[in-house]
Amino acid sequence: MKEIVRKVITIHVNGKTYDIPVGTGRYEMPESETLSHTLRDRLGLTGLKIGCDQGACGCCTVIMDGKAVTSCMTLTMDCDGKTITTIEGLADRATGELDGLQQAFLDNCGYQCGFCTPGIIMTAKAFLEEHENPTEEEVREALAGNYCRCGTHYTAVESVMAYVQKRKEERQ
Amino acid sequence: MKNFGYVTPKTLEEASGLLAQPGAAAMGGGTDLLGVIKDGLLPSPPKTVVNLKKLPELSGLTEREDGLHVGAAVTLAEISENETVKAKWPALADAARSVATPNLRNTATLGGNLCQDIRCWYYRYPDILGGRINCARKEGHLCSAMMGENRYHSIFGAAKVCETPCTGKCPAHTDISAYMELLRAGKVEEAARVILEVNPMPAITSRVCAHFCMEGCNRNTYDESLNVGAVERYLGDYILEHKDVFMKAPEGENGLKISIIGSGPAGLTAAYYLRQSGYGVTIYEKQPEAGGCLTYAIPPYRLPKNVVRSFISALEAMGVKIVCSCQIGQDKTLDEIVKASDSVMLDTGTWKRPLIGLAGEELTRFGLEFLIDVNNYVRERPGSRVVVVGGGNVAMDVAITAKRLGCPEVAMVCLEQRDSMPANEEEVARALEEGILIHNGWGPKEVVRTDGKVTGMVFKHCPKVLDETGRFNPVYEEDNVMELQADIIMMAIGQKADLDFLEGAYKIETERGRIKALDGCRTTEAGIFAGGDVTTGPATVIKAIASGKEAAISVNQYCGLKELPVEKTARLRLHEKLAAFDTRCRGEKEAVKSPMLEVHERDMDKEDLGCIAPELAKGEANRCFNCGCLAVNPSDTANMLYAMDAKIVTNRRTISSEEFFGIHTRVQEVLEKGEIVKEVIVPYLPKGAVARYDKYRIRKSIDFAVLAVAGYYRLEDGVVKDVSMVLGAVAPVPMKMKEAESYLTGKKLTEETAREAAEIALKDAIPLAMNGYKIDMAKVMVRRFLGF
Repeated sequence: MKEIVRKVITIHVNGKTYDIPVGTGRYEMPESETLSHTLRDRLGLTGLKIGCDQGACGCCTVIMDGKAVTSCMTLTMDCDGKTITTIEGLADRATGELDGLQQAFLDNCGYQCGFCTPGIIMTAKAFLEEHENPTEEEVREALAGNYCRCGTHYTAVESVMAYVQKRKEERQ
Repeated sequence: MKNFGYVTPKTLEEASGLLAQPGAAAMGGGTDLLGVIKDGLLPSPPKTVVNLKKLPELSGLTEREDGLHVGAAVTLAEISENETVKAKWPALADAARSVATPNLRNTATLGGNLCQDIRCWYYRYPDILGGRINCARKEGHLCSAMMGENRYHSIFGAAKVCETPCTGKCPAHTDISAYMELLRAGKVEEAARVILEVNPMPAITSRVCAHFCMEGCNRNTYDESLNVGAVERYLGDYILEHKDVFMKAPEGENGLKISIIGSGPAGLTAAYYLRQSGYGVTIYEKQPEAGGCLTYAIPPYRLPKNVVRSFISALEAMGVKIVCSCQIGQDKTLDEIVKASDSVMLDTGTWKRPLIGLAGEELTRFGLEFLIDVNNYVRERPGSRVVVVGGGNVAMDVAITAKRLGCPEVAMVCLEQRDSMPANEEEVARALEEGILIHNGWGPKEVVRTDGKVTGMVFKHCPKVLDETGRFNPVYEEDNVMELQADIIMMAIGQKADLDFLEGAYKIETERGRIKALDGCRTTEAGIFAGGDVTTGPATVIKAIASGKEAAISVNQYCGLKELPVEKTARLRLHEKLAAFDTRCRGEKEAVKSPMLEVHERDMDKEDLGCIAPELAKGEANRCFNCGCLAVNPSDTANMLYAMDAKIVTNRRTISSEEFFGIHTRVQEVLEKGEIVKEVIVPYLPKGAVARYDKYRIRKSIDFAVLAVAGYYRLEDGVVKDVSMVLGAVAPVPMKMKEAESYLTGKKLTEETAREAAEIALKDAIPLAMNGYKIDMAKVMVRRFLGF
């Protein structure tokens, strides 16, 4: 009887579960692969961007177990069993309706070229899950690791604050 | 990014074992390591990355009796948000929160932050943009920050992270930058002792050495190499002037007898180090005077004989016995000597003439023999038209000596082109200055004879000396010839060792006509050692000296004794933590020049090159960069933990802050192979202490400190009772301001004392061209830290 031993890791991304074979074969994932490459190249989730590839620009940010992390500085091997949300997973899975935070960026012209926007939204999303009513200063600090080169970070912060305001009103 | 294997060990023991393997790298959060691997900064990319995050011993953030225990795998986000830390160690929470960005802090660990690599832009320069910068911290030896862009670099000197190139190029590995540093500090005697660790005769080497060290000098990249030779000569002459201090007889005899055959530089060096240790040393020399090539081959205008004699008399005063005019094989046999000694060293040199099979060769003269005769005061003009065959230093000595003895026409002929002649550049220059013709690219073909007398020589053209692999394999054009008229032809195209004295009595193997030297200058016969030219073929004096020391160490080991005194001195010599230099060194573009006699003033016995005044020697020492890495330590938490005197617990021991942060400039130097930082224990601050972490940076996030102050102080009625202060980003290590601390202790904290403390803290700063502002800024930060 032939026995095949395979190393497989499992990640839960945007509500789906993926088993990823690990190894040096053609379709296998090398152990040194970063999460940013796994998500973009294997899972086709190209919403996150690889900017600096050094963890400095924040464009590759995803939410892992509730925390915003730079996926370019995370090895996929460290994500076995973890739950990950990317920008593609924010909208309502049934209706396709955008998340309120995404909508706020649309409504407030929160981006220009859009390269950094997925990272900013994911960082803000993780932050707002833990902070009900942040001040603008706190939002700025939370977004300190996300860089916008168009200079649209002002409207990005405005968009987040508009969403905070709207969420507060809705909850009252 | 180059692929690597990723292992997650389950136990600390397993992790330690994995990390001890070659090609393994430890990973905490990975936010530094992955960047380092992506940019290709490591000498070789790791084969295996060992994940330390899952080890239970490395997790946990708990308050205990002795303080806060922080696991190495605890993230910086956890530390900065933990309520206990915020309440009782708020400055540590601030330091952790000042690192990188919120998202990176979610992954980055404390252990990783402490062990991270430096952040210098030369070091971090990505290899994909025009190739990597091989700085001192990589495989190179030059820190570009010294003369380049250095606004964020150290203001307290450099870290000695590699062997300085001058030392590396020296066959004896003389610690040149160390003696220059001591000389700058006015410690002449200590500086001299640094040289004596590897070379007992700097007065001699400074005059005759090829000074490979100067080829290596990093200043060559910018202006002119340090004139190491001139400084060395000052120290060498100083040693001979005070030989009773530096070359003392041993305090006691150890009763062992060593015989050295040959008194060249290797034999004399071995004699010096062995005698120092209490051995009874006897040197046998076939010539009437000791010194070998120093006395008989090198002409007095380069090396005055009184310098050699002075050194040899100092050796004799130490108790070394020298038996001259004793030819082994004739006056005494090797067998007799071996039987009467505990160990024997052979330094018989290369004094025999090689024959190349030239027609009429028997009518030519061996250049070395001519030099020996001249050194024996046979000062006759050898002829009126002299042709010297050869292009090395011996050929130069022969030609210049002949010229100075009054030969009107001296021509040199060698195979090599002018720029690749084996002789030193300054020797070539000296020969040309004195009117010697040099014909490059010609090889000897035939001696022209008339009535059994030499009348000239025919040369054939040699367009190529080395083959593709760089080996000596000259190509000749037999038809392209040149004839030079001559009444004497001197051959200086090599020397052979005369090994007849071995008589086959001992099993001493030879190789290509030389004694085969194994590691540690051993021969194939136990107890017999060999060094110098007889093992290497004609080489430099300094190379012979290096082998002499090596032989001395081996003889001592063979005799079963503990290390030689010189080994102990070298091992115990204190090294400054950070390499200091003179801030003016950048601007001093020109090296000091030793005075040289004008061509018409030169003769056989006057030394051509003069010495420089002591203050000039010190001035030249000021030009030394004292090369090292000028990058600053990038860790924020290290500054704060050092200030709070935290203990670093590894899987093997507990390391103090002082040792972990304050002394070593690389983690690899503190931690042994397979050693892992487990946790950090932060003690409680004294009750009522104020602790702060202030970090100045250009951007609010993802930026390293331009300057940081970490510490705490406690006042009682306005008087400082406890104080601890660390400056970050000012040096390759966090700097604890001990002098300022002791100044402040017991003083009333006022604006004035705060100002004075800041002055004291920065008084030893040595700014680079662009970072002088850091000194002023740091003073302000120290004052602000103290509340003023």
